[in-house]
Amino acid sequence: MTDIVAGRRRRREVNPLEYLKRPWMWLTLFGCFVFLYFPIVTLVAFSFNSYKRAFVWKGFSLEWYEKAFNNQALHEAFINSMHVAAVSTVVSTALGAMLGLALYRYWFPWKGTYEGIIHLPIVIPEICMAVAMVIFFWAVGIELSLYTIIVSHIAFTIPFVAVVIRARMAGFDVSLEEASRDLGASEWQTFWFVTFPYMIPGLVAGALMAFVLSLDDFVITFFTAGVGDNTFPVKIYSMLRFSVTPEVNAASTVLILITLSLTLVAMIMQSRWTKGKKE
Amino acid sequence: MRKFGRSLISQVSRRAFMQGSVAAVGITFVGGANRAWSAEEKRLNIYNWDTYIGEKTLGTFNARTGIQVQYDLFGDNEEMFAKLKEGNPGYDIIVPTDYMVEDMISLGMVVPLDHSKIPNLKHLDPAFTNPAYDPGMKHSIPYMWGTMGLGYKESAMDSAPESWADVLEPSRAAKHSGRIALLSDSRAVIGCALKYMGYPMNSTDAKQIAEARDLLIAVKPHIKTFAADNGQDLLVAGEVDITMEWSGDIAAVMQEEEGYNYVVPKEGSNVWVDNICIPKDAPHPDNAHKFINHVHDVDVHVEIANTIYFATPNKDAKAKMPKEYTDNPAVFAPDDVLSRCEGILSVGEHTRLYDEAWTAIQAS
Amino acid sequence: MEDWRKNKLAFMVFMGPATFWLLVFFTIPVVAIWVYSFGERGPLGQTYLAFSFDNYLRAIEPIHLKILWKSIWIGGLSTFLCLLIGFPVALGIAFAPDRWKNPLLLVVVLPFFTNMLIRTFAWIVVLGSRGVVNSGLGWLHGQADWLLGFAGLPDVMGQFTPLEMLHNNYTVIVGLVYVHLPFLILPLYATLEKLDRSYLEASLDLGAGQWRTFFSVLAPLAMPGIVTGCLLVFILSMGNFLVPDRLGGTDSMMIGNLIAQEFSKARDWPFGAALSFVIMYPVFIFFAINALMMRRRERVRAEA
Repeated sequence: MTDIVAGRRRRREVNPLEYLKRPWMWLTLFGCFVFLYFPIVTLVAFSFNSYKRAFVWKGFSLEWYEKAFNNQALHEAFINSMHVAAVSTVVSTALGAMLGLALYRYWFPWKGTYEGIIHLPIVIPEICMAVAMVIFFWAVGIELSLYTIIVSHIAFTIPFVAVVIRARMAGFDVSLEEASRDLGASEWQTFWFVTFPYMIPGLVAGALMAFVLSLDDFVITFFTAGVGDNTFPVKIYSMLRFSVTPEVNAASTVLILITLSLTLVAMIMQSRWTKGKKE
Repeated sequence: MRKFGRSLISQVSRRAFMQGSVAAVGITFVGGANRAWSAEEKRLNIYNWDTYIGEKTLGTFNARTGIQVQYDLFGDNEEMFAKLKEGNPGYDIIVPTDYMVEDMISLGMVVPLDHSKIPNLKHLDPAFTNPAYDPGMKHSIPYMWGTMGLGYKESAMDSAPESWADVLEPSRAAKHSGRIALLSDSRAVIGCALKYMGYPMNSTDAKQIAEARDLLIAVKPHIKTFAADNGQDLLVAGEVDITMEWSGDIAAVMQEEEGYNYVVPKEGSNVWVDNICIPKDAPHPDNAHKFINHVHDVDVHVEIANTIYFATPNKDAKAKMPKEYTDNPAVFAPDDVLSRCEGILSVGEHTRLYDEAWTAIQAS
Repeated sequence: MEDWRKNKLAFMVFMGPATFWLLVFFTIPVVAIWVYSFGERGPLGQTYLAFSFDNYLRAIEPIHLKILWKSIWIGGLSTFLCLLIGFPVALGIAFAPDRWKNPLLLVVVLPFFTNMLIRTFAWIVVLGSRGVVNSGLGWLHGQADWLLGFAGLPDVMGQFTPLEMLHNNYTVIVGLVYVHLPFLILPLYATLEKLDRSYLEASLDLGAGQWRTFFSVLAPLAMPGIVTGCLLVFILSMGNFLVPDRLGGTDSMMIGNLIAQEFSKARDWPFGAALSFVIMYPVFIFFAINALMMRRRERVRAEA
């Protein structure tokens, strides 16, 4: 008996579930980190390459940063990309989350068929969807513009958000909602104070996914863009015929830096806010 | 061809023409666009390859005409075609390659040009003014041209390659096994294999295409990759020693680096011409004509050729170019080689033969 | 699951917007392209509407099935590797202190804010003959050579030959794993984050080891996330055409490349559409059956 208690106590010293305190976990995470960032570090390093071909190191130079900063077309493409990604992420996260929740919760006639259809944007080859969208926009007489890009991006990112939300909801304890209702909360209050907070990590994951998908998309963007609506990927892909220069690396580096600093600011503000709330 | 535009330009200077002609021709109509020329807003939407223009071209155009240019990008002919297939979202200028021009004409996707609005056509080399894909340049004006050939690293070769056999004949390709890149372009690769076997580049004979396919399958073990138009990068990065590429890409490498060279194989190869066209339903056809004329202005064209380093069809501009450009075999192929080269032509319903052969090559 | 009639208003509010969007801006366009898949290619690449199954018959010719099969293989292998790498990462983030979760997620996703093409190019720089890895190895080789020479063994190491790592199917798999990792980590994280730790604690307290706990408690609880993540990665890798295009060798054509080729170079939209639908039908059926199965499972549970 004492043995068991002692054994337990020993185990409690490092909580077995604090995986982050275990060396093997650190090793694995470190390995993944290297895998994820090694190419990115190379990419950043080559943004300082004095040679125009992004494959061969010739020497240090800031030339490409200067070029990227003075390249009006690149700025426009960048802003367009951000615009499209931001708007479509917000809309598709909202719509996708509601859809995911409804699919998790409700049974309705023809649900099998319905689910089959709404998951197709995940599997449809980009080019096939792109062509379909163009045919559609021309057929109904909608002029191609930044908005047609956004509309298409929302359409293909909604199911991605929905599946993440469903994966999140799979372990939800429905009795929490019942308890809330039993205690006199309205349907809306139950959703807002019980269900929604539970969904948040799923929303974050879904939104990140939608953002990456939208930011990365070339094919659908290319086809649904109107005159003057170049995005960053469209710009990069069109450089392929000649050579992709380190200018793109430089621009990507700047994007990474902007994201990092925004995150840091957000983190600092959040920690101040929570501190302020505690006091 | 020379008769176009002569009368106007001989009387007034080019500059005066640019400013004055708008009123003079203000009542002309062009193509299907029912729009009086003088009423056009000062805008122009260009759809072109990235960096396929001089650095100052658009600036000088704006300074001379006051027209604001929107420069949009595409990456290859097929992309551009697919984008315009359902309708023109508002482009005034497109730059397709020869075979694509031919198809776009047949499909009514480009409008006829008014040569009287493009007096600078007189600078064009007569060899380019009556192309097979568009007789009489009715719908397209040549912009730049080039060949397809082999770019190679001199130090890796015992002797300079001179035949397609060096990369297509298994016994000879074995010498550089795993150090060869071909292009990932079905018509170009199969076309060159056809040339090597003594067949026409645009063969529609299923048997000939099958032979070319089998040759390519046989040589595949020695090929490193089918490069997606980045053979020149693979060459410089040391991934391969010999690569099939478009002339201009290798010319750009040779400009930057010692030790690389380019050859058009003796069996002949592909010669291509990129052209400026006005797509159907272009909102600013008058401005588009002005732009075409601007591009072939000798000084403007010299700057373009200097920037992008492809061969120019503009003989007067060529005359003003430095020797390292005009004597460069990667820019201008020698005439005797050129005489054995062919353009890729549209093969209509036989496209499927090439498509299936290409899939078979990839999948085998 | 509730019957939708129990709360029609809430059902409509949640289902309505997304359904409308996907109906108008996805389903209708896709029906149009579905009609195309029965058409035929005109001599110049036009699309003629017709009603024939020729494109589908062509799509299931052995050569196309071979490409499909290869894509399934490569996609499956990439998915497996993604799971191997992604699971510990998702677990680590999910079990991190709350204020670290979102920053850590961002650290994982940050590399993906750069364009996919550039990320793929980065691998060329890393793995190339004169790339970063080979330069590192070359340097090590040189050092070893010098040391051995110092020890009186000159020329033992010989000339350094760079490893040929690019342009084969392995590089394609590496590239696919790399570009699709977030699609596994994010859903998995969403599932693991809410995990009730008391189950794991109970398992450990009852004497099960870490491995046993992992396989009999953690993995089943994480299953919805695992399934979703793997499905996303598998589907996306199978259809990817950029990575095989850039990192692949001469035999790396995948179904995504074939479809892209039909839509662009071959200008055969009807056949491209038919090929696309050949891979869409099974997924449609999968999701439909999945929904029915979930329903049935629930009914059985309710009756028990």
